[in-house]
Order: sequence, then C-alpha cells, then structure tokens
Amino acid sequence: MGLVPGRTRRLESVVSICILAILFLIGLGVFLKQSDYDMSRFGIDTAGIELSSQQSGLIREKKPDLVSLGPAGFKTLSEAEIYNPENLYEKINGKAPLYLESGFVELFTQRFVNSNDDNLWMELFVYDMATIRNAFSVYSVQKRADVELLPSMQFAYKTSNGLYFVHGKYYIELVGSSESAELLGVMGQVADKISSTLPADKETKIDELALFPEEDLVLGSTKLYLASAFGFEGLTDTFIARYKFGDEIITAFLSKKGSDAEAITIFGNYYKFLLDNGGKELPTTNPKIKFVDFYGTLEIVAVAGPFVFGIHEAENPQLAAKVQKRLINKLLELTETPQK
Amino acid sequence: MTEQKNCDLERREFLSRLSKAGIAVAGCGVASYLLYDPKGPTPGIEAEDLMTLPDFSVPQKDGQTISIVQGPDRVKTVDKAIELLGGIERFVKLGDIVAIKPNVAFASPPMLGATAHPQLVAEVVRLCYTAGAKHVIVTDNPINDPASCFTLSGVGKTATQAGAEVVLPKDHLFKHTTLTGGKLIKSWPIFYEPFGKADKLIGIAPLKHHHRAGASMTMKNWYGLLGGRRNVFHQDINTIIAELAMMVKPTLVILDATFVMMTNGPTGGSVSDLKRADTLIASTDCVAADSYGCSLLNLKVLDLPYLAKAEKAGAGTTSYETLKPVFATV
Repeated sequence: MGLVPGRTRRLESVVSICILAILFLIGLGVFLKQSDYDMSRFGIDTAGIELSSQQSGLIREKKPDLVSLGPAGFKTLSEAEIYNPENLYEKINGKAPLYLESGFVELFTQRFVNSNDDNLWMELFVYDMATIRNAFSVYSVQKRADVELLPSMQFAYKTSNGLYFVHGKYYIELVGSSESAELLGVMGQVADKISSTLPADKETKIDELALFPEEDLVLGSTKLYLASAFGFEGLTDTFIARYKFGDEIITAFLSKKGSDAEAITIFGNYYKFLLDNGGKELPTTNPKIKFVDFYGTLEIVAVAGPFVFGIHEAENPQLAAKVQKRLINKLLELTETPQK
Repeated sequence: MTEQKNCDLERREFLSRLSKAGIAVAGCGVASYLLYDPKGPTPGIEAEDLMTLPDFSVPQKDGQTISIVQGPDRVKTVDKAIELLGGIERFVKLGDIVAIKPNVAFASPPMLGATAHPQLVAEVVRLCYTAGAKHVIVTDNPINDPASCFTLSGVGKTATQAGAEVVLPKDHLFKHTTLTGGKLIKSWPIFYEPFGKADKLIGIAPLKHHHRAGASMTMKNWYGLLGGRRNVFHQDINTIIAELAMMVKPTLVILDATFVMMTNGPTGGSVSDLKRADTLIASTDCVAADSYGCSLLNLKVLDLPYLAKAEKAGAGTTSYETLKPVFATV
C-alpha cells in the first residue's frame, strides 16, 4: 500500500491532538463566557432578581478591632459591621455620596450598650477616608453649629449626644442614644483609646490651615471642599474660614493648585463663572485681583503663586478688604508675587 | 507475509481505538448528566407575574385634604390633624386591614429624628383599631438590618404594644412590578405582600434634610417599598421619588415636623441637626403635604424637582393652598 503504517499513526496522533486542543479551547471559551454573560440580553433583570437578603452589610470580619475599644461597663450590642464603597448606602443611604465623593475606603461600626441600662447605648462609626485631608473634609462639611470644640484633639467637637473627630485618615463619630452626661464621658474614653491605639496615618496635619490669619478667626470654622466649592466645578481642594467682627461674618477661601500656571487658569475661570452667573465687575488696577458685585454682596478673587484665594459673599466691603489684606500678607510670607 | 501482519495490527488497533472512543463518549455522557441543569436560566419576569399595588385612596372631600396642626405633643397633634380631615372613620372602616408604613430606615434612636417617632406610630395604630380595623400591620423595608432598625428606633416595641403586627422584609414578600408610564420602575421588586393584602395604607414620615434629594418627606418614604439594589436610583433621585408617588396611592400620609432634621440628613447623628418646629401635617395628597413641608426646611417647591415631576404626573398638587388647608394648634 502507499501509506507507511508508522507515519500514518504519527499523522493521526498529531491531527487528533490538534482537534482535541481546539475542542478544549472552545470549551474553555464557553466556560469563561458563560460565567460572565449579560443576562439582560435574555430579558433577565439581574438587579431586580437580587432581593433584600443580599442587602445586609453585616460581615463578621472586624478590622480595625472595634470591640476592643469598648469602654468598661459596656458590652457589644450587635455585631461589628463593615461597609465598602459598593454597599455604604446600606448603612447611611442618601448620605453615602458625600463620603464616596471624598475618597471613602471603608466604614467600620460597632454598637455598645450599658451593661445595666439597655436604653443607654452608642454607636461607633470609623470611616477610613484614605487621607487626613479627606477625613477632615467630611468632618468639616458636616460639622454642626454651636458645638463644644475639644482642644485635646486636632479636629474634634461634641454635641449633647455625640462626639465627632478626625484621627489621621479616619473620620470618627460616636453617636449616643440619649443626651446623657454619662454616655458623653464614656465616649471620651473611647476617643482617647482610639487616639492611643488605632494606627492612623503618616500625615497628621493639613498645611493650608496654617495659611489663614488667626486674628478674628472663628475657632473651628475651617472647612475643606474637595470639589465644586461655591458651585464652581474648577474650584477643588478649597479651604474656607470664617472671621467674626461683632455680628458680621466674613468668609475667606483659599485653594492651592499644582502650579502657578494652573492657579492663574482657575483664577480666570472662576472670575468668568461669577460674571456669567450675574456678577458685575468692579474696577481694579491689579490684574491678579478681581472684585465682583454679586447680587449685593462682594466677591474677591485673587491669585498669588499657586494659590487662588479671596472672599466669598461679603456684605461688608470694608471688612472683606481687611480680611483679604491679612490673607495676602500671610501668603506673601510664602510667595514672591506682589499683591496689594 | 508482511501485508498479513499489517492487517492484524490495524484490526487490533481498530478495536483498541474503538474501546477508547467508547470510554470517551461514556465519560462525556456522565459529565453532561452531572452538569445538566433541568431548570435552565432564571426566566425574565412575565407580564402576568407583575403585581400592582392596590389603590388605597379614599374619595376626596373639599376642604378636608390637608391639615396642619401645631403643638409639641405628637399624640395630640396627630389626633387633631386626623380629626380635621373628617376623623379616622373617614379613612378606616370596620373590618379593614390597615398597613402602616413608617420611615424606619435606620437603626438609630428616636431622639435623632431619622426615623418615624414610635409614639406617633403607636397612636396611629390605636386610632385604626378605634375605627374598627380588623388588623393593623406596621412594616418597612430598611436598607440597614431590619430587626435592628425596628428595635433601636423603638417603633417595633411601641407598635407591638399598640396591637399591631410588625412585619420585617423577607425575600418571599417581594414581587416584581412595573409602573405604567414609568422610566425607572420596570420589572422591579417591591415589598408587596404586606400591602397587597391591606385595605388601607397610611404613611408616616419625619421631615428631614436629605443630602441627595434635598428633603425626605412622605413621598421619599415610599422608597422603603423598593427592593433590589435600589441605590442605583440615587443617580436619578428626583425621577424615582416622583415615580413612587405615582405608584403608591395611600389612604393618608402623616408628615411629622415636631422636630425637623435641618442638616446632615437623612441619617443625622446629632440632636444639633434638629430644629423644633412643633408641626404635624396630615393629608390625602403626598405632593401637597411635601410642598408645605419643604417650607419648614427653608426650601421652596422649585428647590425639589421631584415635587413638580409628581404634580405633572398627576400624583397631587404643589399648590397646597388651593386645597384650603385646615390649621389648628393644640
């Protein structure tokens, strides 16, 4: 015959292996695709199929170990909970976007109840915000009015039922079930324990806060808006501080940009934004400072080095100018750009 | 001789290969049998499986659509507010099954104002029984752990003490629904069962600031009926609230503004977020109740786009003044 038996067997083996390899690859492809196909193409609403049993954020894993922070005379009221950006809304619902837009990483919570009084309980919320700036931002924008600042910590205050503070990259809330002096005292103990035992972050301060002049500054009034300060999208990482003169309040703002050129761009864009939204230009001879009459209030926007800064919605132009001058002088210590 | 030998080899090899092929086919058969899913993929929701909430509304009465009562005591203000609308007998008849949907969204103490106040819920339960209700159900679908929410808010305990059955959400209590003319509520699971068997529905909501929606009042309270990953609706919060107002036609809504959460809503977290307003609103029109309520948050109707959307969809009116609200102080 024409075929040599040995060669025939080798040829068949090679062809068989090739066919099996192709079949294996097809099988693998089907398997991978099947595990990740779009069910909606078949009219199946996957989101809708998921029901409340999958909503719980309860996870037994505890990190950091909040249970160990429990004060004497209190026991855990419920299991520790942990939430990530995917399920944060399960805990705080409509307030989740505030955290998610500020660099939120994880939330750890734990409730403690007085061993002798079930009505006396509190919940500890530990938000990991990745950096102290993010933590300060969510702390400051939610800060309540007329609170008692706690000077023993950098950023901290208490109300009649809660204690709120920043510990490195963590924003921490201790919320009590009642306005109880005993509960507040215990919260202080927990806060101290957190400060001394919970590893925080390498960063422990925020440089821009030192740029606000201290004279007439309302203690604890500084806030950080990470995005869209005063409704202007370009004004990111913007700090504000309030100054009090009798009954009048002046709001100063400051934002450090990546470069002088970027600062000049933001300065110009924000000035244009004010004019586009009904502001009226007021005379000035300095190209690096603009005055705008904004529906009867004064807006001042200026640029110096990498800083965009100014005064927001001042009702008293003299006081606005006074604060602006102090702010300029403070910044002059750091930049060489002359401002008047 | 050589050809004969080759023939023998091919025959043996043929049998050997046939056996191997048979084993391979049998192996595939066994594997297919083990992997076979007789049910197949979960089918899409058929139109006939979709459920629609009943219409719980009662006939309108001129001048008795909205009442606004001022006073510090919720029990007294709600009693008066309902009395001004014609009394509880207008809303609850002998033998009715009444579902009460308080806002119990969070596992937080009543003092924080993030949830419906337990005393208020208990009083409404009591009123329903007074009018002859056969059974009163108090239920909500909190996104946080439901048992904790009902326990720590105090609503579970007071409602039970008042004689109501507290129903916590379970998977089998959900059914899919599609809102006719809706953009978002399409084949979506809702907390259906406790409401599907009820004759009347009363909503009870605290008045709160809401970081996303601007305000959380009686219309936003229906958010608790949604199942699934309902947070996706936060991207279009105004539309979903308006659609909820279209989907739910309640008998009565109660908006509690005894204390108003002015900031840091909807969770709050401090009594410093609250402002005493000593006001309670009762209405058969959610849109009207919320349109009045937003003024207590220093907001205008235009600040909350969902109000105009709901009005446009026919869910009620933002011009609550045209309904001749009845005012009282107790």
